Amino acid sequence: MITVRGLHKWFGDLHVLDGVDLQIAQRQALCVIGPSGSGKSTLLRCINLLVRPDAGDILLEGVRINSPEIRPEWVRQRIGMVFQQFNLFTHLTALKNVMLGLTQVKKMDRSAAETKAKWELDRVGLGDKVHAYPAQLSGGQQQRVAIARALAMDPKVMLFDEPTSALDPEFIREVLDVMARLAEEGMTMIVVSHEMGFAREVADELVFLDKGRILETGTPEEIFERPGHERTKAFVSKILR
Amino acid sequence: MWLASAARLVRRTFTAGRILRIGTALAATEAAFIVLVWIGLAGYYNLRYAETILPFLLAGLRGTALFVVVAIPLGFSLGLLMGWARVSRSWYMRAIGSVYVEFFRGIAPLALIVFSSIIISALVQRVFYVEDPAAYAIAAGLIALSLHSSAYQAEILRAGILSVPTGQVEAAEAIGLTRGRAMVRVTLPQAFRVSLPALGNEFASVIKDTSLLSVISALELSYAGGVRVPSALQLDFNLVFLIWIEVALLYLVLTFAVTRTVRLVENVSKVPGLEAAEL
Repeated sequence: MITVRGLHKWFGDLHVLDGVDLQIAQRQALCVIGPSGSGKSTLLRCINLLVRPDAGDILLEGVRINSPEIRPEWVRQRIGMVFQQFNLFTHLTALKNVMLGLTQVKKMDRSAAETKAKWELDRVGLGDKVHAYPAQLSGGQQQRVAIARALAMDPKVMLFDEPTSALDPEFIREVLDVMARLAEEGMTMIVVSHEMGFAREVADELVFLDKGRILETGTPEEIFERPGHERTKAFVSKILR
Repeated sequence: MWLASAARLVRRTFTAGRILRIGTALAATEAAFIVLVWIGLAGYYNLRYAETILPFLLAGLRGTALFVVVAIPLGFSLGLLMGWARVSRSWYMRAIGSVYVEFFRGIAPLALIVFSSIIISALVQRVFYVEDPAAYAIAAGLIALSLHSSAYQAEILRAGILSVPTGQVEAAEAIGLTRGRAMVRVTLPQAFRVSLPALGNEFASVIKDTSLLSVISALELSYAGGVRVPSALQLDFNLVFLIWIEVALLYLVLTFAVTRTVRLVENVSKVPGLEAAEL
């Protein structure tokens, strides 16, 4: 589904991604863990071209999407993204947040977009909050609206950039549940998260990213219980505690 | 779709009840002032004077209203363009915006008015062979006021644009909106709401700045009240004083109408989580 080959990104002198290779098959969930500053977010942001990689290939179903002739908008419709800070549009209700991409990008007419948006919000358990503004929703509800907003575009892949890190503990569960259900339904997803329970239950594969390189790849059990690399061991012991 | 939502906003804002309320308040205020001034005039002089003066003032009021009605939207459009340019990613757009804003914000409006009057009249005479000083004055006044105000509005809108978290623009781009669409659909609607109080302030300034146009003999309130009426009637100090009171009050009425309207738009478009700071 998505293949990343030899991905490099510099921010000035900082070598954020140092030759990342990654593969994810359809209907798979991949979890990315790693210390802060290891390039996890940059990796995700490269995949949907919010950040332009400096070298390497990103293939979506065989198409090299970081080629200059490919419009980033084309790529982003096909790759959904959920952010740590939710980033809902403050001036729009939950419903309008979800509808915006449908009317503006997919060019659906209003009523069709509204039906679809309501359906998506229902799917994340917010059918009764369609007319609420982001400021009237809890963090967990906001993040679920953000997930519905991304799902409404019918993406082939979903990227989650620390989706629960900005949440109060009481709201983490509801967001993870939505994500787990999504994985169950067969959504291909790449999740940057340190939620170990979630990784164990949902992830087919786990990668450990450190200083812009993938140090280790394996199933969640392998990485958590038998980390092969010293740095992985140190990191895992820190977050498991 | 943008136009449609603008139309919806206008419909929701200007309900019959509100128009009636504001209209009545304005009319009552103005009527009270006119009666007061009239009594004053009648006390000093006879009513014939007053009858001669009012048409002058009304013509001046019409002129001022014309300048305001054209200069505010024109200044807003230019300001929006330049405010947008100032936050653009391309350095030459930012440079154009900066030079524009610094220039028109830095020049005294009076000087700007005189310059544009000289340039317009020279240009129109040479190119179109039209000899109509009154029309020059109107054109020059409109241009000068719009340019002057647009520089301020550009800065207000720039601040508004910058107040919208970049994460929201990224989120818009992440669902496939182009940068321009994200600006129009996500950033600007929030920037406008946040900017409204400051914009209302600026609109009030534009109204009062029209008085500067009397130096190029554009027919507006100050020119009508301060130059035309006295020269027509050869008035003495007391009457001049009364006329200026009336002129000042008319500015107050205009400013009040515009700032109330802005406040109304502010209230109607208010959204939880996006309340503009009170001035």
